[in-house]
Amino acid sequence: MPDQNSIRRLTFQNQLDELEKIHLAASEIVEQWNLPAHLGFTLDLVLEEAFTNIVLYAYNDKDQHEIIIEFENTGYTLLITLVDDGQPYDPTKKDDPDITAPISEREVGGLGIFLIRKMMDDVRYERISNKNVLKLTKNYANEN
Amino acid sequence: MPMKISEQNIKNYTVVAIDGRLDTNHCDTFEKQMMEIVTRSNRLILDCKNLEYISSSGLRIFLVLQKKLMALSGQMKLCQLQPAIKEIFEISGFTMIFSIFSDLEKALES
Repeated sequence: MPDQNSIRRLTFQNQLDELEKIHLAASEIVEQWNLPAHLGFTLDLVLEEAFTNIVLYAYNDKDQHEIIIEFENTGYTLLITLVDDGQPYDPTKKDDPDITAPISEREVGGLGIFLIRKMMDDVRYERISNKNVLKLTKNYANEN
Repeated sequence: MPMKISEQNIKNYTVVAIDGRLDTNHCDTFEKQMMEIVTRSNRLILDCKNLEYISSSGLRIFLVLQKKLMALSGQMKLCQLQPAIKEIFEISGFTMIFSIFSDLEKALES
């Protein structure tokens, strides 16, 4: 049984080398909260895609910014919330890439957000107090 | 976390074994190494037995390589994908684009 009503809130800088820390934090949470081990891969992937997107595209200055990642487990549902103070951007509005296109026509980018949507059960965006709030939900009740 | 590749020539193929994690921070090195290999060989097998993780940045390079090899009338095959990696390939539509084999022998013989 996974730990109930657990919450962890972590703060990262807007730098790609923070991904290593995020990876370690996700592994620690999977272990400490008794989540299914394979969720580690899913968490790594969606966090990397969402975090990288923020770092690369949210800011039009060179300043240091804080990005908050919050993990919350209730029942068999894990909620991940990412909060950044970058320019408004709603990733849920982005079109899916055409994954059936033949190789010659296949675009080389645009898979990141698509993968988040496919790996998660719910992806929601809100703009709250000049901040981007992205909520990713994974229900793992039927997974081992 | 380190990512490394090792290369050997078997039959008429250059077999590149990928070891570790292909994430945003390691994909540039991988791309440079692979582009250098492509200048010497256009028949590649990527052995993914020890590829533990891949994100969209790594997937992008696989696609770039495949396009490059097609332009060179070459060939690229993949083998021994771990189940989690295979799942990402399926979700991304990559299983329709790449020739994927369960083991190296099959990739060499096909």
